[in-house]
Amino acid sequence: MNKKNRKPKWSVLTLLVSTSLLFAGCGQGSTTPAASGTDKAGNQPAASTTTGSAPTKEDKSKGEPLVVYLNDFDEIIGPMFEKETGYKVKLVSGNGAEIMSRIEAEKGNPHWDVVWMDAMPSIHKLGKDGQLLEGWTPNNAAGLTDFAAKLVPANKTYYPTGAHAAGVIIANTKQLPADKAPKSWNDLVKPEFQNMVGMADPAVAAPAYPFVAWFFQQEGMDKGKAYFDQLLQNGARVYPKNPNVAKALTGGEIKLAALQESNAYTLKNKKEPVEIIWPEEGAPASVRVAGIQKDTKNVEAAKAFIDFILDPKVQQQLIDQGEESYFEPSAKGAVAKKDRAANAKLVVADPEWASEHEAEIKQWFADKAVK
Amino acid sequence: MGWLVLAILFFLILLPLAAVIIQVLLPGVFFGQWNIGDLSLLLDVFTRPLWLASLKNSLYLGVGTTVFATALGCALAIVRSRWSFQTARLLDLAVWVLLITPSFILAQGWVMFAAADGLANAWLGWTWITSLVFSPEGLVVVMSLSKFPLAYLAIASALEWKVDRLGEAARLCGGSLWTVWRTVELPLLLPAICSGALLVFMDTIGDFGLPASIAAVFRFPTLPYSIYSALYTSPIRFDMAGVLSFYLVLLIVAAMSIQFYVMRKARFDVLSSRATRQERKTTKRGSLWLNIGCISFLLVVIGIPFGANLLMSISDTSSMDQGLQGLTLRHYEELFANGEALLDGLLHSLGIAATAGIIGLIVGFFVAYVLTYSPFKYRRAVDVISLVSLAVPGVVLGIGYIFVWNQRWLEPIGLLLYGTPWILALASVAGAIPIITRVIVGAMAKVPGQLLAAAQMQGASFVQRVRWILLPLIRGALVAAGLSAFGSSVFDLAATSILFPPDFMTLPVFINKAFEDLKFAYAAASTLMGGGLVVLIIVIVELLFQPKKWKAGRDHA
Repeated sequence: MNKKNRKPKWSVLTLLVSTSLLFAGCGQGSTTPAASGTDKAGNQPAASTTTGSAPTKEDKSKGEPLVVYLNDFDEIIGPMFEKETGYKVKLVSGNGAEIMSRIEAEKGNPHWDVVWMDAMPSIHKLGKDGQLLEGWTPNNAAGLTDFAAKLVPANKTYYPTGAHAAGVIIANTKQLPADKAPKSWNDLVKPEFQNMVGMADPAVAAPAYPFVAWFFQQEGMDKGKAYFDQLLQNGARVYPKNPNVAKALTGGEIKLAALQESNAYTLKNKKEPVEIIWPEEGAPASVRVAGIQKDTKNVEAAKAFIDFILDPKVQQQLIDQGEESYFEPSAKGAVAKKDRAANAKLVVADPEWASEHEAEIKQWFADKAVK
Repeated sequence: MGWLVLAILFFLILLPLAAVIIQVLLPGVFFGQWNIGDLSLLLDVFTRPLWLASLKNSLYLGVGTTVFATALGCALAIVRSRWSFQTARLLDLAVWVLLITPSFILAQGWVMFAAADGLANAWLGWTWITSLVFSPEGLVVVMSLSKFPLAYLAIASALEWKVDRLGEAARLCGGSLWTVWRTVELPLLLPAICSGALLVFMDTIGDFGLPASIAAVFRFPTLPYSIYSALYTSPIRFDMAGVLSFYLVLLIVAAMSIQFYVMRKARFDVLSSRATRQERKTTKRGSLWLNIGCISFLLVVIGIPFGANLLMSISDTSSMDQGLQGLTLRHYEELFANGEALLDGLLHSLGIAATAGIIGLIVGFFVAYVLTYSPFKYRRAVDVISLVSLAVPGVVLGIGYIFVWNQRWLEPIGLLLYGTPWILALASVAGAIPIITRVIVGAMAKVPGQLLAAAQMQGASFVQRVRWILLPLIRGALVAAGLSAFGSSVFDLAATSILFPPDFMTLPVFINKAFEDLKFAYAAASTLMGGGLVVLIIVIVELLFQPKKWKAGRDHA
């Protein structure tokens, strides 16, 4: 009987090996455009996505809709864009990590034409790896604010459409009166706030990385580690994602949190007993940027999309009607929400630095959290 | 047939999983790159603090939950099949509801109940419950209360038929009731208990939502958590996800080896032409106690998570201290106001789940048939593969599906399934196979091969044998299997969130988005709506296929 028990493992192993051989064959056959750049005429990524779904109407892109991967504004951007430009658009929305996993796994045969997410370091890396269209300047780029213009990379692979705080300080006023609340990030490590603070896990929550990255870049790796070490030793709790942090805050598990901006204002607008504090030194920003897939068949529509979302009128509409409406617009002429604090100061970690150190910092957090 | 089944399972489950694990050996192989990966990653599980802790925690959680949930499911199934009591139907219903509800929703309910200013604290003044639930032991308890349906279903379907003569023989030889139960009836249940336990174990170590929400407070990373964190980083570490998934597969193999060892020489096919349907006894006094016990149990396992969600869906703010003034139906109005998106997602999900349920049932039947009756050489491999997709997080399988079904050469032959709804149906079938197979195997184990062999000697074809002998005997299990596959596919979040085609929203993606946008009440409302509809469909189908069972239940009541 024992012998019999051993069999499955062997057969699994055999299968594994044969699988790897099978894949090896496929890999060779499907040399990617990203790697070789020869497959320009290749297949039509967008066309394949329409297989099996409803046929599309006649439009500017001859029945081939633009496919946009995004993590916010999916509720309004589609009709807005179609009405204004006549191009058909299809959306894939998800959280930042899901979208990035998709893009990475699709590398051999991308299905997307445009990516538009508040994940600047990750998209910066896509640009560096040659997966984005380079050197194109949209007409509306001239209308970028100074803050935004500085964020356009040298190879012009992506353009910022807005920025929001990846973390502001938020206090539960029922448990902590507003006048006793901390004023700056450094206050959070003080003993009076022991066992009160919560934050999202940079290893899991997408906006939490730009947040911690700024500390590490600002202070240097060692001091950054020291700061978060102190914070954790002061009893700070780390939750998987921002909604969990928000829940813990209103639920009373924690009294203070570093919370993503729109989450924070959502709580306030829901009349929860919370107060938002913009720290004096600034809140680390998460920048929403958009780039075009290098081998897209829909270049015209893709360019039209980027130009569209850089338009101040469009950004204003996103602020007025969108769900992630609390952000600083990148186009001159668009105005942020009125109830967004006047002293809202955003600071940004350099995307090059942030994407280089991402793995290191995230792993440090992951391992730290265990101890 | 063995080879056919193996091939189907290979394409559905093993190929995508292997596609991710192969990233350890050859990262970038799908993009035409030939780099040898860093194999030392395989041993990193012993050096990286996070990985080591995840492995330990997953084992602790898996073993603990398996023991408790199986014991609970077994006890409930035996009570349910022995005695007739009015609330028994409710218990069955509760089991289905728990089975199909995504674990992050259950977790949300428990958190709302037990949090520092949650319901237990605010309304009942039970301050102790917070520290009790938010501890590793508490997590095991909550997991057990959420996962026992897997064991219950496997064991209950095996109890559908009984053979009294074995027990009677033992009684004649002077065995006491307890001795007979311990030495005859319990051992006969062993296959069902084992498959139930395995299901619980796999589902527990593969679950991300529940431990992540409850364990967040006291830091309790598990293997799925580490897998997610490997994928949620940039550059994305498919290879790390591969290594950790590989460890999950090793855990499955280990768990199954234990099962084989336990059942190494027994024979369990006791059903014969003398088998009768299990009769349920009614006792006046006993039934009162049974009803009380059943209701209190349901209050805990259903009442807490769903009651909290229900309250959430009708309250204005997320804190529960406003009493009746805070109640509102606003979130349900919202649901209908922009119902189009929800309806869209719901229809998509129902369509995919129905497809998955039907295909899954067919595949699952053949898998179970091979496992039970065929002398196929690689039966054990079939067995292992059929369980893998329960423990491997959906997101890993999802990525594997992209690797496999998004290769350029597939397009000319019309097999570029990624980007079409078919990929979702396939992934759902893969996700449903473990449950379907186990439920059917549990029932088939009791139908002896001789019954089929006898028919074959009389000249009955394979179709005839299945149609006239096997199907009638295991019909209950088949319906149960198909429905559980349907129900769980409707809410299968992990795989669909990474595979859905453009503009093709599904219900779980919709709910999860509401959750991430902090619309907790709205998320709870849409879950209850969607879940209610699914339960309704399941009840109707059960009524259609098993009217007798319902009538019988009512007659006794």
